[in-house]
Amino acid sequence: MSNVSTRVLVVDDEAPIRKFLRAALTAHGYEVLEARNGQEALSAVTAQRPDLLILDLGLPDMEGLEVTRRLREWSNIPIIILSVREGEADKVATLDAGADDYVTKPFGVGELLARMRVAMRRTVPADEPAFTTGELQVDLASRIVTVAGQEVQLTPTEYDLLRALVMHAGKVMTHRQLLRQVWGVAYEQETHILRVNISNLRRKIEADPTRPRYIRTEPGVGYRLRTDL
Amino acid sequence: MANLIRLNAQKLWARLGRYLLSLALVVAATLLGVSVRAFISPTNLHMIYLVAVVIAAVYLGRGPSIATAVLGVLIMDFFFVPPFLTFAVAKAEDIVTLAGLLIVGIVISTLTTRVREEADAAQRRETQAIELYQFSRDLASAIGLEDILRVVVRHVSQSFGREITILLPEGSTLQPQASSPGMTLGENETALAISVYEHSQAADQAMATYPTRTLLYLPLRTGHGVVGILGVRPSDPGVPPASEQQRLLESFATQAALAIERAKLAEQARRAQMLEATEKLQAALLNSISHDLRTPLASITGSLSSLQEEAVQLDEATRRSLLENASAEAERLNHLVGNLLDMTRIEAGALKVTEELCEVQDVVGSALQQMGDRLEGRLVQADVPANLPLVPMDFVLIVHVLSNLLDNALKYSPADQPIEVCAGVTDGRLELQVADRGIGIPPEDLTRVFDKFYRVQRPNGVSGTGLGLAICKGIIEAHRGEIYAANRDGGGTVITVTLPLVQEQAA
Repeated sequence: MSNVSTRVLVVDDEAPIRKFLRAALTAHGYEVLEARNGQEALSAVTAQRPDLLILDLGLPDMEGLEVTRRLREWSNIPIIILSVREGEADKVATLDAGADDYVTKPFGVGELLARMRVAMRRTVPADEPAFTTGELQVDLASRIVTVAGQEVQLTPTEYDLLRALVMHAGKVMTHRQLLRQVWGVAYEQETHILRVNISNLRRKIEADPTRPRYIRTEPGVGYRLRTDL
Repeated sequence: MANLIRLNAQKLWARLGRYLLSLALVVAATLLGVSVRAFISPTNLHMIYLVAVVIAAVYLGRGPSIATAVLGVLIMDFFFVPPFLTFAVAKAEDIVTLAGLLIVGIVISTLTTRVREEADAAQRRETQAIELYQFSRDLASAIGLEDILRVVVRHVSQSFGREITILLPEGSTLQPQASSPGMTLGENETALAISVYEHSQAADQAMATYPTRTLLYLPLRTGHGVVGILGVRPSDPGVPPASEQQRLLESFATQAALAIERAKLAEQARRAQMLEATEKLQAALLNSISHDLRTPLASITGSLSSLQEEAVQLDEATRRSLLENASAEAERLNHLVGNLLDMTRIEAGALKVTEELCEVQDVVGSALQQMGDRLEGRLVQADVPANLPLVPMDFVLIVHVLSNLLDNALKYSPADQPIEVCAGVTDGRLELQVADRGIGIPPEDLTRVFDKFYRVQRPNGVSGTGLGLAICKGIIEAHRGEIYAANRDGGGTVITVTLPLVQEQAA
């Protein structure tokens, strides 16, 4: 993996989870720090300056949401949250508060590593004007979108939507984040506008809109532009 | 009150009428005597008056017949005993004759009246016996408490011509359960009924009836205690019923009490039976769940412990297979726990449905995506028109329903057969269908497959919890939707989900 070992702070009150993450992440060349609750996490971020945070949402002393909010007041550290299947609302709130991505328990290490890579990349400035995933190519400079070399005509809104996804490629974007970026703060709650536009966009760039390849739906959370193609 | 006065006046007139008739009888006897006195001896004229007394005794009752006898003696003395047209009696033997006539008249009237009364009583007893018989026959054929109470009210109010009410214990109090039409109890009367109920329950030798000014309370008593109170509104307020009537009322009450007790016992037995059935079911479910939970745990533990054993050197292929097994079983366990949590949430009414306008293609696509690798190599035909309207639903939950249905289609149909998913608008509702070419569902199980823990008995053991479709049903019903199963022409199953296109107006 990377030559300079990345320091990951694992925040979870469950010892078995910490133990398994330590083993798996160390094996992949990460340096692992541990915290058992929100307070420990906050002081560890200050004292030890980790490069990435893996944060369980259900901590004994404070909600993961609260930890995220407090960190985001002064830190840009990538945060990946661990959630359970039923916790969509908490998950979305924490993502909206500034967490970068999430994995749902139980999860495989492969999935977590992929999320971590994307989250880390966010901090690297993307200076490439053209984005490519699979056969989809988006030229941000000339605003030209092609699929398998064929140019696709998008409406300005569809393009803005695709651009927002490209800017955060590989990372989940919540409904609210997309609505705010493309339509503005006033439209934050108008999820159906987003759904219609995603549907239109898919019809133009996906071969089969019912089995989308590029724009993946994260049920109850938002959308993700896949980069692993 | 006015009614009562009228009633009493009527009785008075009826009685007066009978005395007038007795007077008429005497007059008739006298006229007959006058017309025949030329032909028979004066002594035999007595016979005419005796006949009048007998007639009066048979038809008019005791009082009028004695009046007939007395009047007859006086008239006879006046017209037929010398000196005529005076009440004086000349001869001593005539006094004996008149006294004899009087005594014989009184004796005859007494005897005849008694015979008549006995005949009447016998007649009444027979009528009562018939009424009681009909009552018990109707009670026997009544089904359920409600029916029994109706029979009691009808018979008692018919036989006695009174308004009645039946009060049965309900919790710690007594509630009128059935009454004659228009009969209501005052607050005091109900309170009194309760105290009668409590008293008659506590006392071993409680009274058979508790008469009050406005209501007669009869405890409905059986060998096991008092089951309720029968309240009878007397026809004459303040006047207790004749003892004979009261006895009859008591026998009605006893019959009614037995019937009510019978109904209650039957109800208790039914409940006990139901409870037992529920307990059996729960035990079976617990067995099945603990089996379903333990099996994957056993495989995981087994696989991992094999890998842990240092003494045995496993080749790479075996290690990999053990790991894959543990991993797959862990996934199965996760699925099961998820299902159990979903079911618990649905049953506890804690399922939160957040309806938003959703895009049907996206919903179907997400469900297919959620199936992930498991659909690999399987032909899935998705037919979702692009022009469907946005439909209000909870995106996550409906995706969950569709992936459950896809999961079933996958499990219960051969791998080389396609699975079809289609969507459309029918009769103003969104219709989603998941169809397979599997073995189908026996017709008698088509509705039961949506029951919790119900699984169609299959020879080849496909693993499942019997929760998937029950969860789907719970979610769809929370959306005011419908879900049903059918067998397809040419084999296989199709599950149809319909959802309203319009969001329910917030109440």
